Amino acid sequence: MRTPRLYLRLLGAHFRSMLEYEADFVILALATVLMQVVNIVFLAALFAKVPDVHGWTFWSVLIMFGAVALAEGFCSLFFDGMWSLAWQINRGDLDYFLVRPYPVALQSSSANVGINGLSNIVMGGIMIGTGLAHADIPWTPWRALLGVILLISSVVIKLSINLATNAVSFWLSSPTPMFAFAMHQVGDLARFPLSVYPVALKAVLGAVLPFAFISFFPTAYLLDTGQSRWLGLITPLVAAYCAGAAALVFKRGLRRYESAGN
Amino acid sequence: MRGYRALIRATARAALAYRFNLLLGLGGVLMQLVALLAVWRVILADSPVNGFTWPQMRAYLLVAFAAGTVVSIMGDFRMAFRILDGDVALDLVKPIDYQRARFAEALGGLWIEVVLIAVVVGIAMALTGGVDVPAAPGLALFAVSMLVLVPLKFLIVYVSTLACFWTQNFMGVQWARLAVVNLFSGALIPLAYLPGWLAGAAQWSPFAGLTSTPALIFLGRVDGRHALVLVAVQAGWVLALWFGARLVWQRALRRLTVNGG
Repeated sequence: MRTPRLYLRLLGAHFRSMLEYEADFVILALATVLMQVVNIVFLAALFAKVPDVHGWTFWSVLIMFGAVALAEGFCSLFFDGMWSLAWQINRGDLDYFLVRPYPVALQSSSANVGINGLSNIVMGGIMIGTGLAHADIPWTPWRALLGVILLISSVVIKLSINLATNAVSFWLSSPTPMFAFAMHQVGDLARFPLSVYPVALKAVLGAVLPFAFISFFPTAYLLDTGQSRWLGLITPLVAAYCAGAAALVFKRGLRRYESAGN
Repeated sequence: MRGYRALIRATARAALAYRFNLLLGLGGVLMQLVALLAVWRVILADSPVNGFTWPQMRAYLLVAFAAGTVVSIMGDFRMAFRILDGDVALDLVKPIDYQRARFAEALGGLWIEVVLIAVVVGIAMALTGGVDVPAAPGLALFAVSMLVLVPLKFLIVYVSTLACFWTQNFMGVQWARLAVVNLFSGALIPLAYLPGWLAGAAQWSPFAGLTSTPALIFLGRVDGRHALVLVAVQAGWVLALWFGARLVWQRALRRLTVNGG
């Protein structure tokens, strides 16, 4: 219990320092809301003229957009420091982390609070909620529980991909997380039904970097739409695999760390 | 003028050094292109929607990509960081006009953006099929519209970056701008798909000139006088924003505090 408690205290310290700049705080939170509103307007305008895309309606695509927003939001709000890992390695800041009796990855990821994450969680939650309310799902306690598990798994997958791709900075030694950011942008593709993409992209989003398990496969399973709906059931397994792989990549990378020297 | 030409040359040489900004600028627009191409290909496979056929939508998205990539790499980050760091003080003592100097830098980065556009558009056309090029007058007007787009986009980025004199949070301002531009320029979806009142507002806003105007001219969906009016609106916004930006700049300077050291 000590690890999560300390983690929240680390985050809390950054949160308090952020509150010093109240206007900046509000600007970032509102800008994120605006981005999601634009996404919703886009989807509404698109589906006003088109009934569905490969069987996917406005409400189901809204759920996928919401799932990506929610997973991203969770990562920004609680683990935004990961994005400064490249900088921390480049500057040799990891020296301090290594001598403290606390997991290095968690010290790195708690180095920042992305308040944009709060907006994304709220907007993502609203999008998923409205989408599910308009979907014709026979809710049972078992299905609701499964929905929650799928949601948690999708957040874990996003978090693991973020950690693994940012840990690549141990090898690239660039002060900016170029690789991780490029992969993050690839993840935006998974907001649309996977069936619209060519085979090569399906393989990338479904297996190499399983972004599709953040949004598409869980939604497909819950809504019982599309050809590969049962794949949504293995989302928790994919999450476990991703978390393990990310931990391994980080560990391997950390062994390569050789400070900045003076 | 010599000073500005030197700035253009210097930025052109430095452009390749800013790979991360390049990626930030290009990656999002590129992924949007891939996703929208895939989605529209499915939607328009059988029949046109709202008057757009698949080849037309493909051409529209490629023009949107080109328009989204132009003036996206060099300007805003460097300018924002210099304002936030206080280095802008050094720019102020130089005997050149600040706004023109930033415009010169944006022009310097153009070549790499044009190369990237050529590569991506070439690959996209090889994978999804070619596009119909409009007749000579339409093509000429499209070229003019793309040229006017350069100062227009620069000015919109420039004015929004001046917000750094009021807030520390450049990222928030940039995200808000990207979201507004994406919707109102028609980059995300052609304005014809938006509800009438929203499309009308977007049409006359400065943002329409960032994608919708050149794309519609390229598709031949507007012709003759209507096309000329749209380009005139585009050019009008360039003038308005050029002088408007000077007013914002004067006010911004009064906000400037630089900590000595």
